[in-house]
Amino acid sequence: MPDALTKPYGMIAEFITANSVLHAAQAVRNAGFRKWDVFTPFPVHGMDRAMGLKNSKVGWFAFLGGVAGYTTGMLMIWFMNTVDYPIVIGGKPMFSPFSAFPPSYELTILFGAFGSLGGMLFLNRLPRLHNPLLKNKRFSLVTHDRFFILIECDDPKYSEVETRKLLEEAGCRHIELIEE
Amino acid sequence: MNPANPTDRFDISRWRKLPLQLMVIGAVLCIIGGLVDAKEFAYSWLLAFMFFLSLCLGSLFLVMIHHLFDAGWTVPIRRFSEHIAAMLFPWMALLFIPIAVMAKTIYPWMNPEHQHEHAVIAKQPLFSVPMFYIVSAFCFLIWWLLSNRLRHWSLEQDKTGAAGPTFRMRYYSGAGIVLFALTGTIAVVLWQKSLEYHWFSTMYGVYYFGGSVWFTLATAYLITVVLDRLGLISDALHEHQYYFLGSLMFAFTVFYAYIHFAQYFIIWNGNMPEETYWYVLRERGTWWYVGMVIIFGHFFIPFLGLLRIDVKHIFTWMIPLCVWAWLMHWIDLSFNIMPIPHPQGFPFLSLWLHFGCWAFMVGLLSAVFLRNYNSHPPYPIKDPRLVEAMGLYHPVPTQISGGELGEADDLRDAPPQFRQPAP
Amino acid sequence: MTTAPMPATVPQTPAELERPLLVANLRSFGWISNRVASLSEGPAPLWWWILFVPSFLALCLLGFCVSYQISTGVGVWGNRHPVMWAWDIVNFVWWIGIGHAGTLISAILFLLRQRWRTAVNRAAEAMTIFAVMCAGIYPALHVGRTWYDYWLFPIPNSNSLWPQFRSPLMWDVFAVSTYFTVSVLFWYMGLVPDLAVMRDRARTRARQFLYGIFALGWTGSNRHWSNYEKAYLILAGLSTPLVLSVHSIVSLDFSVSQLPGWHTTIFPPYFVAGAVFSGFGMVLSLLIPLRKIWKLEDIITMRHIDVMCKVTLATGSIVGYAYSMEFFIAWYSGNPNEGFHFLNRALGPYQWAWIPMVTCNVLVPQLFWIKWFRKNLVAVFIISILVNVGMWFERFVIIVIGLHRDFLTSSWAYYKPTPIDIGTYVGTFGLFFTCFLLFIRFLPMIAISEVKGVTPQSDPHHPLGGAKVAESVPDED
Repeated sequence: MPDALTKPYGMIAEFITANSVLHAAQAVRNAGFRKWDVFTPFPVHGMDRAMGLKNSKVGWFAFLGGVAGYTTGMLMIWFMNTVDYPIVIGGKPMFSPFSAFPPSYELTILFGAFGSLGGMLFLNRLPRLHNPLLKNKRFSLVTHDRFFILIECDDPKYSEVETRKLLEEAGCRHIELIEE
Repeated sequence: MNPANPTDRFDISRWRKLPLQLMVIGAVLCIIGGLVDAKEFAYSWLLAFMFFLSLCLGSLFLVMIHHLFDAGWTVPIRRFSEHIAAMLFPWMALLFIPIAVMAKTIYPWMNPEHQHEHAVIAKQPLFSVPMFYIVSAFCFLIWWLLSNRLRHWSLEQDKTGAAGPTFRMRYYSGAGIVLFALTGTIAVVLWQKSLEYHWFSTMYGVYYFGGSVWFTLATAYLITVVLDRLGLISDALHEHQYYFLGSLMFAFTVFYAYIHFAQYFIIWNGNMPEETYWYVLRERGTWWYVGMVIIFGHFFIPFLGLLRIDVKHIFTWMIPLCVWAWLMHWIDLSFNIMPIPHPQGFPFLSLWLHFGCWAFMVGLLSAVFLRNYNSHPPYPIKDPRLVEAMGLYHPVPTQISGGELGEADDLRDAPPQFRQPAP
Repeated sequence: MTTAPMPATVPQTPAELERPLLVANLRSFGWISNRVASLSEGPAPLWWWILFVPSFLALCLLGFCVSYQISTGVGVWGNRHPVMWAWDIVNFVWWIGIGHAGTLISAILFLLRQRWRTAVNRAAEAMTIFAVMCAGIYPALHVGRTWYDYWLFPIPNSNSLWPQFRSPLMWDVFAVSTYFTVSVLFWYMGLVPDLAVMRDRARTRARQFLYGIFALGWTGSNRHWSNYEKAYLILAGLSTPLVLSVHSIVSLDFSVSQLPGWHTTIFPPYFVAGAVFSGFGMVLSLLIPLRKIWKLEDIITMRHIDVMCKVTLATGSIVGYAYSMEFFIAWYSGNPNEGFHFLNRALGPYQWAWIPMVTCNVLVPQLFWIKWFRKNLVAVFIISILVNVGMWFERFVIIVIGLHRDFLTSSWAYYKPTPIDIGTYVGTFGLFFTCFLLFIRFLPMIAISEVKGVTPQSDPHHPLGGAKVAESVPDED
């Protein structure tokens, strides 16, 4: 599809230090962009605030997973050992919250862990098999030692000249246009 | 954060008389209690003593782990912990005297009619009257040595800021943590567990320790808030101290529950009469409800209350929880001690006497604490790790700077003296 | 945000108390990537093959022993009445104990903000997973009819039977399988950004494809990092009670019984401390040679070794406390069976197992009080091996001595392992080392992106991070 190949996706700007990309991110945010992102080889502290990101919602996924796990465990053990197949062992009660606690607890953790990993992947829309950024040679340095800011062409504030100017003023040395 | 000003002093003008008033009220109630029912008084005194002992031992522990972990953030809260720990001798030892005098009333195994029981004979020579006093004196000696030396070198460092005292304190903490574990265990076995000398549990020392440190952390939080409000240690504080104290309190909430659940659970499952009777006794009468209060009040309420990250900074939330921890720790100890004189249920009728013993000790100890605290700098003013505790820039990331949680984005840029040449 | 200058009264840190950098010699981001990733690129070095071939042969031995055991029955082991739990459970507990350091490093030290963990957590987590795999083999075989193992799980079966949840062995099934799953999730999640590093460096199609698939399309987007860090924190928060619960539940296998030496209330925390102790022993044993061979001294510095020695010392001392409490309470309780059991440990026919247990677990780690031992890599390596030996003997002492002289004197016996026992144990080493060698060959053995995050230049406020010294940072409203 030659048409799709030439469609611009966004503008990436490369930075060398954590501090410069942090300040550039503040500038981009203050300029009121919406569809933009910062790419770093490791999480840069303070970047969430610089970008104006809200607290991540992963916690809710983990919490729901944990609650589901604990409930499943307790109900399962109660059903199996009290309702469906009652059997007396060592004079102990058929169901006791004490002896049902260890397996239910483990299920809490298990489902909570699935919740947090699954929630993270869901919120990040991963796995993703195609990403225009990953075709760019220069961008592959993002996992090495470079920092990038991407501003998507779909952003209402995007303009080839103004955006480039903004990024250059923020201290960027290298700017490239990425195609879809 | 203004420049540190260690010349400030604790202003307690409105409350200055409170410790004395508490002491007088407490002493009066204690005397009345002692005259009315000496036995009841003895147990009430023991309970109050074990309560404050756990605070002093917990503070000693906090001081020692500060040095063992080479921590940075604990510097501002270390000085008052040192003062609390230093009350172990002579003040806690003095408060132990009534127990030493009334030991025969308190401890059933000292009663001659029990001396021929297998459970007592098996514990010879530890469970003999002279050994009781020798071991008790030994514990106080060790605690005196540790708390006194740790405070001494900390105060020495206030003068010079040299590294030497830090190494000295590490040395005492290293040897001290071993001695602390041994003396703490033997003391709680001898003074508290031996009330029921038939019963045994390898976990008991850890159990007392877990509750003590939990309660000490709550107290440290309260004291930090008060001192901060008075402006005494504000210069050295970063909001992370509150966060970390709250987090540690959360950790010890879970640790205590883990320890107590494990002890109960193993005894419950093993179902051997020589062990279960301890819990059976505590499921009778109103003790059953006390047990429920401990499960919910000592674990679930603080656990849920401390679960969120942000609440650890909210004083209006944390202060009631810390006060609650005082109550819960007291109930936990009374669950251990009071079923001996009151197997039928919680002694509601002698609460006035408990209050008397408690008030006397809290009055005395806070008077001593304030006197000590006021005569020394309010925090280790020249501690080499103070810069970290303050959340100022320092070259190597530690707990406060650049924490993984991304909460440290209010750090300042590096001041010139830390400029390093590029590689 | 204020930018007040440094207060004049803040004390300067004396030189001897300066904290050393976590990555020595001010290495750059690129250097870290190149150094770590290059270990899994290019042809395998000779020493790798020299280690891999015997490991693989040992794995084959495991295959033989397991097949023989399944086809013949548990009688091929030395388990005889009254010692019906023997090397199988000893090795199960030993391996699962080793598996505890990984999660301790990745979860608990993360919550404690011990940032040195980044240099060792990847390898330790991998070690955890492989150790739990080795451990899992034993209970699966120990049940005898291995083909009915699925009865352990709550799966409906043709007999309409359900598992019996009042048994600690069922709790174990849940604990160990949860532990394995969560450890893999945690490990994989940490790997995702590093797999992206490998993908972006890959030169061949196959590597690009495989690393690309498993990197899930990771780009290092900060919006992703934000969710990622939160999920990592939550996984750490979940794994911390998990790591405590797993070995606690393993300890309940013993302590809910009524056997002297098994039924004691301190078992859960004592087992956890012992597990962390042996796990750190194994981490040190693995990383000290690797650090040397692969010249990772700038990433795994002497400070890292020093700290790990201190953890070993601390947990070893907790284990020592538990030993003394066991003896003390055995005496204190006045229970003749308890008393006999502990005397039998120290003076009985298995004294040869008790002496190395106390020596290696309690006495030898005390050498770490002395700085010289923590600085001497040979000494650390030897002590770390001894720690593992000692912890194996601890499990042997608890299990075999606990059983071989029970309440009925007529059934007393002396347990000896068979060659199949030994072969299975050696075989699990084969499994462990085969997996570990494959891991260090194909995956980054150090968390690249995390180590980048603990360098000075990663901090935007540091001069090397690009901050202009003593100048105001613009307001972040």
